[in-house]
Amino acid sequence: MLKTVSLLLILSCLTGCAYNSVFINYPSQIAPYKQQLNSELPVANIDELANNIDGNDGLLYAQETGRIMQVAGDFERSKTFYQQAITAYQAFDDKAIISASKLGSGATSLLLNDNAIPYRGPGYERIMLHQYQALNYLFSGDAQGALVEVRRSNELQSMEQARYQQSQKSVQNMANGTVDAQMAQLSRSAGSVTSSFLNAYSYYITGLLHELANEPNDAFIDYRKAAQITPDNRYLQQDLVRLAKQLAMPQYDEFKQRWGDAITPTPEQGQVVFIVERGFVPEKQSITVPFPINDNLQSASLATYQPQSPLPFASKIQGLDTPLEAQNIANIDALAINALKEDLPAALFRQAARIYAKYELNQSVQSSSRRANNQVDAGALVMQIFNVISEQADRRSWLTLPRQAQIAKQFVDAGHYDIRVNNSQNTKIEVKPNQTTLIWAIETGNRTRFYSIII
Amino acid sequence: MKNLKLIFVLAAVIGLSACQSKVEYGNATEVETVNENFGSTDLQDIAAKMVDSMMTFPPVVVITQNNRPIIFVDKIKNKTSEHIDTESVTDTISNKLLRSGKFRFIDMTKVDTVRKQLDYQNNAGMVDPTTAIKFGRQIGAQYMLYGNLSSIVKQDGSTKDVYYKMTMRLMDLETGLIEWSDEKEIRKVKSKSFLGL
Repeated sequence: MLKTVSLLLILSCLTGCAYNSVFINYPSQIAPYKQQLNSELPVANIDELANNIDGNDGLLYAQETGRIMQVAGDFERSKTFYQQAITAYQAFDDKAIISASKLGSGATSLLLNDNAIPYRGPGYERIMLHQYQALNYLFSGDAQGALVEVRRSNELQSMEQARYQQSQKSVQNMANGTVDAQMAQLSRSAGSVTSSFLNAYSYYITGLLHELANEPNDAFIDYRKAAQITPDNRYLQQDLVRLAKQLAMPQYDEFKQRWGDAITPTPEQGQVVFIVERGFVPEKQSITVPFPINDNLQSASLATYQPQSPLPFASKIQGLDTPLEAQNIANIDALAINALKEDLPAALFRQAARIYAKYELNQSVQSSSRRANNQVDAGALVMQIFNVISEQADRRSWLTLPRQAQIAKQFVDAGHYDIRVNNSQNTKIEVKPNQTTLIWAIETGNRTRFYSIII
Repeated sequence: MKNLKLIFVLAAVIGLSACQSKVEYGNATEVETVNENFGSTDLQDIAAKMVDSMMTFPPVVVITQNNRPIIFVDKIKNKTSEHIDTESVTDTISNKLLRSGKFRFIDMTKVDTVRKQLDYQNNAGMVDPTTAIKFGRQIGAQYMLYGNLSSIVKQDGSTKDVYYKMTMRLMDLETGLIEWSDEKEIRKVKSKSFLGL
């Protein structure tokens, strides 16, 4: 009996080293880095986080470090980290249908918790990874490389779309009462987004990069998809009308009627495109419910999102000839909530199996200990403590993503401008005739960083 | 009994040493199927097909009968969803064409370096003016070789299908006419294994 318990403890200690998030919850590991990004100080030491890339959740840490470097403006390093994440995804894709390592982590998760399963992000995270990698290539001056990433994310977008359509039913097939309530709460928080991966922001960025690479036809296709998801965005509507006119598309008349005629620039004008990213995507919280089965204390933990405070208002851009108001293109938090909702049935199944496994383990400890009088209670007690401590909700997700993305676009006369987004500091941009100035503003709470490039 | 133990230990040692990683030389032209991405075999196939096709195309044969036309190679446009070094593809193709002795080439990637060198020879005051190579004596290209590489990738469950198409053209710069054009298609299908690590 004592042997079993000590074995179990040793086992959990061992796996505790290998799996970073099994006992330390994930959001608390990332919080200091988010704080750094939010301060005026340069991002200090990323190595500790980067060391985890070799571990079980390497994919997640690679995404996280890549994004931190990107927000801080080190596009080259960010590119390397993102590439590691992309390779990790590809390794997942190449895994055999029945793989020994998958079975192994599944078994560990039965004994400990879901954090023992190697992290694999939801569809929208993988698409955003390629989208951000495309921006890395673009901002480090490799337009052709950027387009490669754009095409990759296009491939994934269509793949994930097809996959989601199939799994839609599994989301609805849930009968358990408490979970239904949980589902309903998640639905409320998710608002109007119909899918966890139909991310208008990704479609818009891929469309924009196609347009900047002088491929208006491809841009038109992506813009149209983005508009199907976010139909109210004025800038998107204008893009569609303009491209429909330029390409002499049959939809031109319809678009013109709905959204007004296209605005075309004069020869002295250049285009200014703003991408405004705001805040951080919310963290997963855990709900833990302890309950006794036959006097054995068991507990169940599930991840959830707390109801969100209302979204930040539209960003005001000042410093151009006329003040601009950025419009919302995607709420990443809604995507995250939907992704969790889709994952909930499987998580529940694993939870039930785990409670059963731990209960059986308890029973075995108890019955054998009853025979050996004295150690009885100690063993059973240790088992119960182990149960409660080891039961942790899976709170892993890509936390340095923005909470919301907004866009704005305008044709302005060539020249130098001193612009400002909301309460940020001023930054200088240049507009050249017949060219596009892309301004990427990343607001991390108190601080806004600007990156701009003329294409 | 003791012997048996020894045998086990030996077996374990042999087993472990077999797991050591090792390095071997391979054949550079061997068919490579490590994964479905663009690889050396694809590059070699494309280059071989393009060079063969161009050298045997009757109008090109006529052009190269009495003189060695001067060609410059434009970068091949990468329209796939992979980061491919297309310069390496064009290098292989231009190498083979040059080695055939029927064409001459101008390397556009080195224009800046050449300009700097000529600038140094003529303007730095360090080089004997009689030996300095004068500006404006280079010979202009008559033909341009260009192309693009595109791909279609499809994936469903355990199957992944990748299709590459390389298109190349030779343009007469004086007339703007395409003197030669060809394409090479490659299809690769990858299916996931059922059991594995």
